[in-house]
Amino acid sequence: MLQKTGRGLLTLLLLVMEWTRPGLSSPLRPICDLRVLDHFIKEARDAEVAMKSCREGCSLSESVSVPQTTVDFDVWEEKNGLDQAHEVQSGLCLLQQALGLLKTSVTNTALHSHLDNCIRNLLSINAVLRSLNIQEYTPPASAAELEGTWRVSSATDLLQVHVNFLRGKVRLLLMDAQACQQDVS
Amino acid sequence: MICDHLSRLLALHVIFCAMGKASIDQGARNHGKKVSILLREEPENPKCFAQSRKDFTCFWEEDEELSGSLDQYSFTYTYQNENSSRCPLKMLPAAGGKRLFFCHLNQTQMFVQTDIEVHREGRLIHNRSLLIELVFILDPPANVTVSRTAQPLQLNLSWVPPALKYMDDSMIYEVIYTTVGSNVGQVEVVAASSELILRGLQPGQMYKMRVRVKLDGISYNGYWSAWSDPVFMETVPAELDLLIMSLTLIISFILVVLSLTMLLSHRRFVVKKVWPTIPTPDSKFKGLFSVYGGDFQEWLGQTNRGIRLTPAFFYSEECPSPLEVLSELSPRPSLPFPPLPPKAFRALPSVRKEDDDVKTEPEDRELMDRGDPVLSEQRTATPHNLWLIDRIRALNQSQVPCSQSYLLESQDTYVTLSGKNQNIDELDDVLEETLPLEVLFASRKTASYESHSDLGSVPQSSNSSRLSSQSSFEYPNHAWMTKGPGYTYMAVADSGISMDYSTMSRVEDFGKAVIYSNDYKNEIPAFRSPFLPSHHHIDDDG
Repeated sequence: MLQKTGRGLLTLLLLVMEWTRPGLSSPLRPICDLRVLDHFIKEARDAEVAMKSCREGCSLSESVSVPQTTVDFDVWEEKNGLDQAHEVQSGLCLLQQALGLLKTSVTNTALHSHLDNCIRNLLSINAVLRSLNIQEYTPPASAAELEGTWRVSSATDLLQVHVNFLRGKVRLLLMDAQACQQDVS
Repeated sequence: MICDHLSRLLALHVIFCAMGKASIDQGARNHGKKVSILLREEPENPKCFAQSRKDFTCFWEEDEELSGSLDQYSFTYTYQNENSSRCPLKMLPAAGGKRLFFCHLNQTQMFVQTDIEVHREGRLIHNRSLLIELVFILDPPANVTVSRTAQPLQLNLSWVPPALKYMDDSMIYEVIYTTVGSNVGQVEVVAASSELILRGLQPGQMYKMRVRVKLDGISYNGYWSAWSDPVFMETVPAELDLLIMSLTLIISFILVVLSLTMLLSHRRFVVKKVWPTIPTPDSKFKGLFSVYGGDFQEWLGQTNRGIRLTPAFFYSEECPSPLEVLSELSPRPSLPFPPLPPKAFRALPSVRKEDDDVKTEPEDRELMDRGDPVLSEQRTATPHNLWLIDRIRALNQSQVPCSQSYLLESQDTYVTLSGKNQNIDELDDVLEETLPLEVLFASRKTASYESHSDLGSVPQSSNSSRLSSQSSFEYPNHAWMTKGPGYTYMAVADSGISMDYSTMSRVEDFGKAVIYSNDYKNEIPAFRSPFLPSHHHIDDDG
């Protein structure tokens, strides 16, 4: 009886320690299934459609910087993986800031839920990139302003850029990720 | 040696040229197919499509007469946040007197809003805004092959997807398969896979299969490609499963044996149900069919039995009524009944004449009116009842077959009035038993009744008045019915059922408004049921 109790306590202790283990996390399994990203793209499209049909209380208070969504395949393929990753990560960061600002400007409650979804999805994409062994990258503020960014002043333009960015660069990056390529080949 | 090299080079060159030409031809054919698909599917102008990651084509169609020269047109496209660019145009003739203007780009930017404008002599004629990655149209799947699987009614279809990098997992395919000769095809959609197993096919059938491809619409989108070239494959014919066949045979054999056994054991019941015996009257007429072959008269002549057994048969149609309508005789209330008995004692044929006389009298009165004096007279006229009885007995004794009858066709059955219930009862009893035909009429003075009736129709009084009706005689002489405006007539169909008659009395003739609706019970004893009912018109003058 004592042995049983001891074993139970030990198991419990190990579990707790596992949860509370700080710092280094075990390497995540790479998330190579693009259906995850497809799900995010669909939700971003829903938000864009909802914004288009919104008449009141859905405007951007000031112009924001957003990443360029243009993909020229020749140009894209010439870039190395790291540059591609940096481009995507900085773009995701800009979008997070822009969506946060839009959320404060918008008063429509339905749109609020959409925007919450989008912001949550952007954070999930960061997690997916982490799972693919892509190092986190925080762009310097000045550089982001100059290169590869646009200014948009309307909410619909912002959400359109958001959708196009996810469908284009983010997806291409995930498809090309080395971690996933190794599984295939 | 040099010649060898040269000849080899020449051969290779020719081969490559042929191959190139073939591929060019194929490419041109595909291009032509895409153009026709877009002409059908896309309503906007200019119609644009991308074939690969770098290829982008736009075109529009114009009538030959209305179009101008190529330099009149300009095609400009503008990516978001960039300057516009021009695209060089080409013109190609098309069927039906049309011209196609093409713009082709070898380098494109995707995932970005693109604005396209077409100007003719400075005037904007077409305007469109699109994203290039959303207007893909691909070549149909190549190398479509089909093979049989281990399962008998399945086929394995496989193909090679179009060679587009990054887009393999974004493709969806549509497979259509039909039996050869059928117009209705079944469609299956496959996502991100380049093979499909068709299930549930019919055995021994030749199937035709085709595939087409499209991008799934999440990241990329576009139009359905053209159908691939069809492939054919026959499924294996059905094999009779021996076990199932043998089981089926055994079970059916058992069922047959069981049903036969049941039929044989209950054959009499079954025969009776399937061929029911039709009743014949042979048992009632002994010897009629067997000896006399159905000749009734002969049989009658030969035997007395008919009369004894069923007197009703013979007297039904033919016996005259021994009763007369007393009220018929004259309208005058003074007209007594007493004259009647003497009349009644006359030969029956004369009765007929008398009937005619009576009929010609225009003023037939309603019985009821007459009824009072009549009844009163009746009550006093007990000899009349006695007369009746005598009469009837005489008739019985004579046993006149009545076939020759005096009153054959135009008969009326007469109704006698009798006010004495007890007498009537006696009479009833007597007459009921002995006579085939009786009309017993008993009414009180409040009763109304018909003067003439084919059947004695009697209003039912609360006394034991009762009318046993007899068969109705054929009554062709409708003339007399209409003669007297004062007559009220009633015809009765002798069918052995109770009937309600309402009789209307003539007001003007008698100064009395008497309207009766009487319940009339038409009693026919059972032995009279063979009477033939004949229907008469009810001619109500009232």
